[in-house]
Amino acid sequence: MASIRRPAARGTTVPRFGLSEKRLGQVLFGASAAILILIWHLWASTNSPLISPTPGAVLQRLIEYVGAGRANQHVWITVQEIAFGFLLGGAIGIGFGVLAAEFDIARRVIMPYVIITQALPKFALAPILVIWFGFGQEPKIIIAALIAFFPLLENTFLGLTSAPAEMIELFKALRASRWTTLLKCRVPHAIPTIFSGLRVALMLALVGAVVAEYVGANKGLGAQIIVAQGTLDTELMYVAFVLLTLLGLALDKLHGLVYRLVMRRLYGKGAATAADQQPRVSV
Amino acid sequence: MPSGHIVVDGLSKVFPSQAGDITALDGIDISIDSQEFVSIVGPSGCGKSTLLRCIGGLIPPTDGEIRIGGDLVTEPDPRIGYVFQKAVLLPWRTVEDNVMLPFEIGGKPTDADRAAALDVLELVGLADYRRHRPGELSGGMQQRVSVARALVTNPSILLMDEPFGALDAQTRDTMNVELLRIWDESNTTIVFVTHDIGEAVFLSDRVLVMSARPGRIHDVIGVDIERPRSFEKVEGDETFWSLRQRIREELH
Repeated sequence: MASIRRPAARGTTVPRFGLSEKRLGQVLFGASAAILILIWHLWASTNSPLISPTPGAVLQRLIEYVGAGRANQHVWITVQEIAFGFLLGGAIGIGFGVLAAEFDIARRVIMPYVIITQALPKFALAPILVIWFGFGQEPKIIIAALIAFFPLLENTFLGLTSAPAEMIELFKALRASRWTTLLKCRVPHAIPTIFSGLRVALMLALVGAVVAEYVGANKGLGAQIIVAQGTLDTELMYVAFVLLTLLGLALDKLHGLVYRLVMRRLYGKGAATAADQQPRVSV
Repeated sequence: MPSGHIVVDGLSKVFPSQAGDITALDGIDISIDSQEFVSIVGPSGCGKSTLLRCIGGLIPPTDGEIRIGGDLVTEPDPRIGYVFQKAVLLPWRTVEDNVMLPFEIGGKPTDADRAAALDVLELVGLADYRRHRPGELSGGMQQRVSVARALVTNPSILLMDEPFGALDAQTRDTMNVELLRIWDESNTTIVFVTHDIGEAVFLSDRVLVMSARPGRIHDVIGVDIERPRSFEKVEGDETFWSLRQRIREELH
């Protein structure tokens, strides 16, 4: 009777063509990526390098660019903008999410603002922010924060208010205060939802920072793209795209790492399966 | 007055609704002695869970009053332990930390509290699983953890709302036998809501039979079967079968 039931691991290996499903996926991914790169190469070869450089040329330029240390300051500037924008937007999003979830009156006041700020295309604000704050990092951080904030507000609100009714009733039966219920029930319950909000916010902060750099900046990867456009240096543009993609992947990896650590702390060793319920790209 | 004594006096509960008010409970009078085991059976929607939640102070009565140990119930009472239909364990806590929850909510747990948690886990036979998470346990084990959590504060009264309803028949039988042992060792009053007539008769000193719409106490049936009870003994007892039959007829 006293037997332990262990949740079945996800992604269990089903052999196909003598390969595990995971291995087969990797092989198929590699093959299709090779085909796509080949198509790119063929297409670029028949066109002017101004339209598109070949994959080989981009790789060579990337190595040169990074090797000469020219990438460092631009990547660093953009990373700072993403980080500060994400932290600022995230903190505000989580803060207002908690308020909206806990107090009906706060929700009624906050939500119209949220809807209005969501309806407003935030990138449209970039020019006025440049007038106010100049060509430094502030306008980029503000744009990144403005778009990072919404997914966190929404997911925090959702996570906190979706604790099962019977759990809330248990806390009521145990005479828990509102604060205790929030801390010991609603918040731990909301953690996975908040983390998926953090993931979206992180990607949006990246987009926000780069697009804001387009509007007026002399440093940062977005600024590099605009400079490259001005000098018809398509190769450099591609290099910046590659660096941005790598940056995005690195940020997502970092998020995944923190998420797994937190889930393991909350749910113990069995947390790996709970963490895997969030679809995640692994490279 | 002993703190396990429950008096329900003229209790009515009306739920307002757009399609007109729904009278869930109408003029309920009950008196339950300290350390008595009372079951409530009735058709679904007869308000048996509502009655339990009123006694537990989770919802206020529309009319009438409830007293526990002579004190008027206006909010959840610390002398009551509640077991819900679902185990309602916090999946991010270990079994032991789930059982400690009532102490944590009440303040800072002491060493005595931790010892009490171990004792109740011993009582429900899960001391070896105290470091596991609820997700690693079977449904029956989870429900035993929730019984342990309800017992850990040493309540005078245990309110149980179809606690074994979701378990398979075999596990439920085991749980019933264990519940009687726990009741015997802990000196609590138990009010047990179920829709299983056999379970009600097997466990109880008295069975309250309710009728639906509005929820009223239709009959109160004393179960005169000697304790301690086991399935072998009870199933060989004429009284058990005749009481089952009688309650079944009253419910139809």
